[in-house]
Amino acid sequence: MKHGFKFKDAEYDVGLSRSGDGYRLHLNGQTWPFTLHPGEEGNWILSSQNGGRTVIDHLAVAVDGDDVHIHLDGETHSLRFEHALERLAQLNEAGAADAIRAAMPGSLISLSVATGDAVKKGQTLLVMESMKMETTIVAPRDGVIAEVLVAAGQTFDKDAVLLSLESQDEDNEQ
Amino acid sequence: MNTQHWPFDTVLVANRGEIAVRILRSIHAAGLRGVVVYHAADRLSPAVTEADVAVEITGDTPVAAYLDGAQIIQAAKDSGAGAIHPGYGFLSENAPFARAVAEAGIIFVGPTPEQIELMGDKVRARAFVEKAGFPVAPSAIEDDDPATFVERAREVPFPILIKPAAGGGGKGMRVVRDPANLETEIERARSEGQRYFGDGRLYVERYIENPRHIEVQVLGDSHGNVVHLFERECSVQRRFQKIIEETPSPALTPELRNTICETAAGIARSAGYVNAGTVEFIYGEGGEFYFLETNTRLQVEHPVTEQITGVDLALQQLRIAAGEALPFKQDEITSHGHSIEFRIYAEDAAAGFTPTTGPVLQWTPPQGEGVRMDSGIAQGQAVTAAFDPMLAKLIVTGEDREQACARADQALRQLILLGCKTNTSFLRQVLNHPAFISGDVHTGFLDAHPELASERELDETTLNKLLATAAAMTRPMRDIADAVPAMHAAMGGWRN
Repeated sequence: MKHGFKFKDAEYDVGLSRSGDGYRLHLNGQTWPFTLHPGEEGNWILSSQNGGRTVIDHLAVAVDGDDVHIHLDGETHSLRFEHALERLAQLNEAGAADAIRAAMPGSLISLSVATGDAVKKGQTLLVMESMKMETTIVAPRDGVIAEVLVAAGQTFDKDAVLLSLESQDEDNEQ
Repeated sequence: MNTQHWPFDTVLVANRGEIAVRILRSIHAAGLRGVVVYHAADRLSPAVTEADVAVEITGDTPVAAYLDGAQIIQAAKDSGAGAIHPGYGFLSENAPFARAVAEAGIIFVGPTPEQIELMGDKVRARAFVEKAGFPVAPSAIEDDDPATFVERAREVPFPILIKPAAGGGGKGMRVVRDPANLETEIERARSEGQRYFGDGRLYVERYIENPRHIEVQVLGDSHGNVVHLFERECSVQRRFQKIIEETPSPALTPELRNTICETAAGIARSAGYVNAGTVEFIYGEGGEFYFLETNTRLQVEHPVTEQITGVDLALQQLRIAAGEALPFKQDEITSHGHSIEFRIYAEDAAAGFTPTTGPVLQWTPPQGEGVRMDSGIAQGQAVTAAFDPMLAKLIVTGEDREQACARADQALRQLILLGCKTNTSFLRQVLNHPAFISGDVHTGFLDAHPELASERELDETTLNKLLATAAAMTRPMRDIADAVPAMHAAMGGWRN
């Protein structure tokens, strides 16, 4: 497993090596030499080759934990670093209890289930409010509510875990 | 500006974000002291930094703090404020608050509570305007006879639009094209109206296909003078919320412009309107227009009017509140150039305009000729789900529309906000669309062009640049690269 970056919906296996005064990007079996130096006023100067010519770009870059935010040529992009070991670990987590996450930031209007409730696929779990609109969150599959992590009126950010669902079978076996 | 005697020396701004900063600027320009109230979530915001005094307010949620009239009035008393400016949103169109402010011996910078009640209640406002002889769209009003509301709604020519009687900002509004869905949609709209405004009463009106949203800025003083400051076109909307506004409207001929502006001034005059207000119209493809509603406050998009008229609207609001007469007559107000406002939202346009959150790691507003940035954010702050996702407004002005658009594209490219995704790239897509360039838009324009919101494919070179930069800025990757001598890497001892 290699280090990688998650960007938009894709994952990229990426390597980095030294070359003279700069670096080389290793991607898809190809290498791409470049230099990156701090410029004035906190920006960065990226120098690369295109068709035998040197191309210079002025970038704004901010790193926040594993998130790298880059402003390049009038557009802003966010990439997330994925450590090789974490990527390996993620492979083993498949099949864990389902977390029902908020697809967008918002607040909880009403909760239709409680811990221990058995739910059917498509059944309403909760109604949330985001963007001044009500959205109903339904069960993605049959299961049992393992935990409820939000209360009515509470606000949450994107990706926050709202409920967790365990499978019906597991519950029956206990 | 000649020196004038103010009946107050301190003004409290009962708001947050960019508008609090904007109003403080006019308070300071008038030589007055500016106080803001703030919730702890806004402790690091520019409004708190720029105020002479900032008083903390609390609430169950951050929004609740800014809606707590009693606490805000107490903060005004404690800080010696003789006037309260409510900004927009929050308590700006809340008549009981305006009344409570007056009862506390403080001047409310806005219209009278009675005018807020009349104009804030869409149903009453509509009836008033119709009675005064101005045009309104065919409709059915629940309050007229709640028992027959659904039947009467069914008789309005479809498609129809359901609106909360106490609404605003697009909340709870629903278009119904199929009469079969009418009852379900009414229930949804009622539930949303109840929740947002504490009032589930509704009305429906004919939905004008491909309508433009055109509104007129008015100012009235307490001496009976009312003037208009021309129109703003706000047709580029998503989910009934404006995102780009401009003046003059590209749709109007000089004659129509005059008619619609005079109609607005006439409506305000009939109501004896005092302070700044906006009369909104729906404008059909055939040139017909109907009264929509009146907003009894400063609008989000007021800066474009300021840019082309040279009038500081927030300052005029303070002067009117102080009992001064308007310093100009209608024919002394002229418009010069073209101005466009872009609302910078923390949102992901490609994901259906869902709000985004994150830390503000870098904030670099654009600069240049004709560029004005009204912003309420600062580096080090965080964008959270607690407040409305509008972070700032970019206002770009040029001699004509073409120059304003060219400057806007450059400014949107220069604007840098790192840490939280914004809609700047999407705004540039809209700005460069042929329909926008030719001024041929309507309120359904964005719905008709969903491709404008989608993420563009990146070319291989750009992708390399981004991954290279990200890799070089990431510690574990740099450590590995630096640990392997360049020569070994070149010999293939280090492989990818």
